[in-house]
Amino acid sequence: MSFEKFLFYLFAVLLLGAAVMVITRRNPVHSVLFLVLAFFNAAGLWMLAEAEFLAIALVLVYVGAVMVLFLFVVMMLDINVAELRAGFVRSAPVALVVAVIMAAELVVVLGPARFGLDSYAAPDRHPADYNNTAELGLALFTQHIYAFEIAAVILLVGIVAAISLTLRRRPETKYLDPASQVGVKAKDRLKIVKMDPEENA
Amino acid sequence: MQYDLISLQPVMPEIFMLGAACLVLVVDLFLTQRTRMWTYGLTLATLLGAIALTAWAAGPERQVLFDGSYVRDPVSDVLKIALLTITVFVMVYARDYLLQRGIYRGEFYTLALFASLGMMIMASAGNFLTVYLGLELLALSMYALVAFDRDSVKGSEAAMKYFVLGALASGLLLYGMSMLYGATGTLNLAAMSEVIAAGKAEETVLVFGLVFVVIGIAFKFGAVPFHMWVPDVYDGAPTAVTLFLGSAPKIAAFALAIRLLADGAGGLSAHWSDMLIILAVASLAIGNIVAIAQTNVKRMLAYSTISHVGFIFLGFVAADGRGYGAALFYTVVYALTAAGGFGLLTILSRKGVDAETLDDLKGLNDRSPWLAGMMLLILFSMAGVPPTVGFFAKLFVLDAVVQVDMVWLAIVAVFFSIIGAYYYLRAIKMMYFDKPIDDHPIVASVDSRVAMSVNGLAVLLLGIFPTALLQACRTAFGG
Amino acid sequence: MIALSDYLIVAAILFSISVAGIFLNRKNVLLLLMCVELMLLAVNINFIAFSHFLSDVNGQIFVFFILTVAAAEAAIGLAILVVLFRTRRTINVADLDALKG
Repeated sequence: MSFEKFLFYLFAVLLLGAAVMVITRRNPVHSVLFLVLAFFNAAGLWMLAEAEFLAIALVLVYVGAVMVLFLFVVMMLDINVAELRAGFVRSAPVALVVAVIMAAELVVVLGPARFGLDSYAAPDRHPADYNNTAELGLALFTQHIYAFEIAAVILLVGIVAAISLTLRRRPETKYLDPASQVGVKAKDRLKIVKMDPEENA
Repeated sequence: MQYDLISLQPVMPEIFMLGAACLVLVVDLFLTQRTRMWTYGLTLATLLGAIALTAWAAGPERQVLFDGSYVRDPVSDVLKIALLTITVFVMVYARDYLLQRGIYRGEFYTLALFASLGMMIMASAGNFLTVYLGLELLALSMYALVAFDRDSVKGSEAAMKYFVLGALASGLLLYGMSMLYGATGTLNLAAMSEVIAAGKAEETVLVFGLVFVVIGIAFKFGAVPFHMWVPDVYDGAPTAVTLFLGSAPKIAAFALAIRLLADGAGGLSAHWSDMLIILAVASLAIGNIVAIAQTNVKRMLAYSTISHVGFIFLGFVAADGRGYGAALFYTVVYALTAAGGFGLLTILSRKGVDAETLDDLKGLNDRSPWLAGMMLLILFSMAGVPPTVGFFAKLFVLDAVVQVDMVWLAIVAVFFSIIGAYYYLRAIKMMYFDKPIDDHPIVASVDSRVAMSVNGLAVLLLGIFPTALLQACRTAFGG
Repeated sequence: MIALSDYLIVAAILFSISVAGIFLNRKNVLLLLMCVELMLLAVNINFIAFSHFLSDVNGQIFVFFILTVAAAEAAIGLAILVVLFRTRRTINVADLDALKG
């Protein structure tokens, strides 16, 4: 077994194992952390498929921002864990059967008979000076510029929607005004009083 | 490609829409609650401007821009003008409702404009990427709009349900797209249909991907058995949002189906038309039968939507220009009548009271004969009673189905439509022959009354003179 | 050498796990969101594998956009979740009974 193949199986097994843990953990915080593990291993697989930019983007952007947002929300909401698990055991056999049948069907269609090395030969490795980021960037800003603009609009909608849904002005909340904090002079706060010295009795 | 005004002419409606939506977003920040009417005015101006630009760029030829990402053809012209026009009606009806609920905020208009932009993008999508991004732009705006009334328990629940199922549907759709991409090696819909026609792609994998794509489309349309979200979301969302959700996005869903199935996977029509037959028959049956049992008008109209989706799919089953033309005609007509139906519900709602149950329709004729007349036309159209346009919409779809020798399917459709007519007629009976339960006078602004009249009369006039719209729909598909 | 089928099978199993997760955790909205993330990850692996073996950069471009959209989607989904939690004090779907289901 070549080293490459060993890495592939390592990442694949860890990815699938982490995915199973995500859906079976009792505590949502653990689930999020296993999801992070799954993303890391997926990034490893992508690296093997020579998608370097996306592998790094997945770790930096996705794990770094989106998963942290998940973690933040999980911890912010006061969730009753036991309540959420009700019915878990009951639906487990159904879920298992569905998953196994589905996986079996998918594997039959996508197995080596159709997508093996005979029909899809492994492409030659790119030379050492190949720049995946440059190639992606070139395609992104020429061929796919229209899609790129739409993606920008989607992010804008994300911002508008998230703020309009969650921003609340509460009159009872007390705010600090940094500008007036900075603008404070010593004489506004400190009053120097001249006193006559007291005599010791 | 060249980036100058001439070569960008076909995409001008989208560019204008985006610029104006951003303008509305910024202008609204500087308005107070009293001057917020400007947001409403600017939104209407934006939609009307986009309609004008679409009409200006329209033409019989097919123009492809941005390396195949963008396609402007007669189909996209009809779809865009129809969906923008219906959004205009929606915006007019929604205003009173939002004002009464105290949720008249600028974000409603911004998100609605972005949703319309998403629909326009879907209407002229040339590859998987633009289909997907347009769909998500629409869906993300819609999720936020359903949750728009933040203090409403029902609204946030409905939004959550809609979000989870919508995200799931997108996942399934994407899985199917990845298979089609793998089998054909291209994301471009036109190139894909060439590869499929040349027989260069393995059919098993194509059909396999197609199953996921069809499930995704069925989810977005709300066809049985992927309809679970429709009644709950329609019921839970603020009526002004249900009004939007139930009308214009149906045209976008049509665009999704026509781009993916007809443009991209047209060579596989033998496979997907079988899948659509099952979905269509199930939708007609469940939609019409379950609607009878509903006491809530919004839920009743939701099940009625499901049954109409079945009819739209019937047009697709024919898989030729005639069938697509009939399905397009049906979709546009349905969106127009649905806008009117939900629009009436927003007019009947008062501060603190939503018109939700069928009882709210009782005695509408005593309270306002004119509104009752308009609602009568709309319900007749939904039931398919001549001379309203709904009758012709059904007729053209059935004609297309019979032309491809599927008479049994037409008979099934007619059978369930007759069952469906019962609950529309029951609502009409309540409007005309029952005593009103709610005696409050109906308060509606002048513009929503005008819109309601235009909407109701359009349903009648299009029924008397269906040729112009039908011609536009047929020629769009070269028929 | 690693074959295309290897990648596709990993993605297929991951996809099935995410579907099983949706069945298992029907009551927990947060877990449902995570299952959707897993599903998108499976789709992304498919696209990257095809892109690699077809030597076509478009598949990677698609993944780039899926990641972008998924980020916006997660933001909106979590915002809705927060709104829901504020109004109901729970994210348990079984308690979400204002609608008939």
